[in-house]
Amino acid sequence: MSEAKKGSYRRKKTLIAYSFIAPNFIGFFILTFLPIIFSFVLSVCEWDAGNTSQITFVGLDNFMRMAKDSTFKISFKNTIYYTVGVVPATLILSLLLAMLMNCQIKGRTFFRSVVFFPYVASLVAVGVVWNALFHPDNGPVNQLLMAIGIQNPPRWAADIKWAMPTLILLSIWKNVGYYTVVYLAALQGVPSELYEAAKMDGANGLQRFRYITWPMVTPSTFFVAIMLTIYTFKVFDLMYITTQGGPGRATNVLVYHLYNQAFISLKFGYASAIAMVLFVIILVITLFQFQFEKKFTSYL
Amino acid sequence: MKKRRMWAGLMAGAMAVGSLAGCGGGGASTTAAPTTAASQTETTAAAAGGDTTTAAASGEQVTIKVSLWDYSNTDYYKTIFSAFEAKYPNIKVEAVEASSAEYDDLIQVKMASKEDFDVVFTKGTPALSALVAKGHVLELDDYIAQSGIDEAVYSGLTQQMQLNGKTYAVPFRKDNNLLFYNKDLFDAAGVAYPEDGMTMDEFREMAKTLTSGEGSSKVYGAHIHTWASNVNQYARRTEEYDPWGNDKSVLLPYYETILAMQNEDKSVMDYGSLKSSSTHYSGVFYNQQAAMMQMGTWFINMMLENADFNWGVCSLPNMTGEGNTKAVGGVTPVSIGAYAKHPEEAWKFIEYVCGEEGALVLADCGIVPGYTSDKVNEIFDALADKKPGIPENLSKYIDIDTYVIEQPMHPQGREADKIITEEHDLIMTNSISAADGLQEMTERVNEVLGQ
Repeated sequence: MSEAKKGSYRRKKTLIAYSFIAPNFIGFFILTFLPIIFSFVLSVCEWDAGNTSQITFVGLDNFMRMAKDSTFKISFKNTIYYTVGVVPATLILSLLLAMLMNCQIKGRTFFRSVVFFPYVASLVAVGVVWNALFHPDNGPVNQLLMAIGIQNPPRWAADIKWAMPTLILLSIWKNVGYYTVVYLAALQGVPSELYEAAKMDGANGLQRFRYITWPMVTPSTFFVAIMLTIYTFKVFDLMYITTQGGPGRATNVLVYHLYNQAFISLKFGYASAIAMVLFVIILVITLFQFQFEKKFTSYL
Repeated sequence: MKKRRMWAGLMAGAMAVGSLAGCGGGGASTTAAPTTAASQTETTAAAAGGDTTTAAASGEQVTIKVSLWDYSNTDYYKTIFSAFEAKYPNIKVEAVEASSAEYDDLIQVKMASKEDFDVVFTKGTPALSALVAKGHVLELDDYIAQSGIDEAVYSGLTQQMQLNGKTYAVPFRKDNNLLFYNKDLFDAAGVAYPEDGMTMDEFREMAKTLTSGEGSSKVYGAHIHTWASNVNQYARRTEEYDPWGNDKSVLLPYYETILAMQNEDKSVMDYGSLKSSSTHYSGVFYNQQAAMMQMGTWFINMMLENADFNWGVCSLPNMTGEGNTKAVGGVTPVSIGAYAKHPEEAWKFIEYVCGEEGALVLADCGIVPGYTSDKVNEIFDALADKKPGIPENLSKYIDIDTYVIEQPMHPQGREADKIITEEHDLIMTNSISAADGLQEMTERVNEVLGQ
């Protein structure tokens, strides 16, 4: 085969490959990539979702405005609060559950389904059920607490201090199943001869966890941490369904604020600026975690 | 017992929605609807005076696009629309509906993308103001002048729906807030019925006396639903309070009364509790768990279908002794879209649905039309003959000369309203004192309104 022929053959192959990617890529490009670029542009502009000719450049005004926007500050704090509440707890709990499920216990598949179930359940249904369970006066949770002698149980979603912890609890319960499955897969990938060797050397359970299990599942831990962090920063649906950001602004998070600014107040420029802040935060955290991952998984 | 009550409440709520939707015949499926509507066409057209012959003679067939919500489950829309089509055979009405909950947000975005809606319904003045501010609806002053409409039939509402001195909408419906009360519960407690011009203290005392029982069989003296309007409308009616005004402290005595009823007297259900369970106000009242409740006149229609006890209405209590001389409430404005292809036909449509013909269909369902006339009043007074228990003097409470619109037109009204709701939430859950909450409300509202 001549060089030229080889080249055209390769080009043809490449074209065929591209044609397979194209449908997905075109969809991604038009529906995801362009809007992202557009929102970058909008973050330094003012626009009320009217005619695109009305977009006016305002420089960094949108970002300056955040400093004066009390709701932005509150929703920022709430987002951090929510993240700190959800990420470590979900991570630890799902690893513990995965280790339990990995043991040779009776009815293992049943328990796995039980743990995974909240994840597949519709958030709307879950939100409604949780509101009923945690109802401040008639909810079974508070009835139980009162039965065991707690005089003034927390008023959960109806209390400015308890509303966020209630949602954090809900999120952990809802998401732990998925991450348990991720960890379960990782645990099953740990060669059993490592444990056998450790046992021979006289390592106890805690040591086996510390020196075998934990290091071997580190890549999964990073995956779980990154996915959870991204999830918690972009949380919106939960608040929209259960508390609408209330009581007052106690559960107002960044994306909920963004939504209100864009679709209630029609300040698309300002909303995009908030999106940029969110983007930068998630980007920085993710890069940071990637750096850590490289450092801590070099032995694998 | 408690569970059964809760279920009864839920069922009643569901039925209320059904009956609201259907105006009596809510069971019709979407597929069956066109035939029902068609058969109603003839009857309504005949009832409206049989003037089907006065159809516009221009001959050319046009279709107007009408944006609204809850069309497919609200029979009166279909009845009115098909009667309109019968009167104007050359105009076809195409209803484009959206879900009620998202309508306000959706219409803003749709109009921003220049949808060619000829007629645009809005859910109230804040949404209308936002559309006007962006130039998405047409001025109607010339049309109103041309048609020679006497604006008095709209109780001054067309003036109140002006922005910068121009009119942009005509009221299709109006709903003023009244105090509904359960006569049976008053009789049982041996308390005299509430009267117009009651003070807030009298209201509180009355509720306290009416409260009885414990646990699931407790009867509350009053029910305060969770909307901010369930507190601020008392003061709005007397025009002490202006939602966009720069001092909210006038609400303080009102909040103090309601909070005292909630925290000390326990004569109303707890706000946080109601909010957590998203309790619908209707079930509480139908199940006779509360003796008094402030609600809009749309509740008349719901009561007609669901109440099996004697009830009455009176004007809202307040601090100034204002009797049944002023009404406070909201409107359902109808406008012509700025990108309409057939504005002339759209105006004909608005004239019809917001005129006597549309009003009579609404009144028949116990819904208060924007249009006021003796005929409408007669229909409301005749409701008492339909079923025992319905008060006889309803027209006295729907036809009031001074109509205070709950949220005046303001381009940033929607944003300010959100703040009012947030602060109301904090005050009612006792997260903040009423005085501090109102202070915060004042500051934040002034900030977004640039005052």
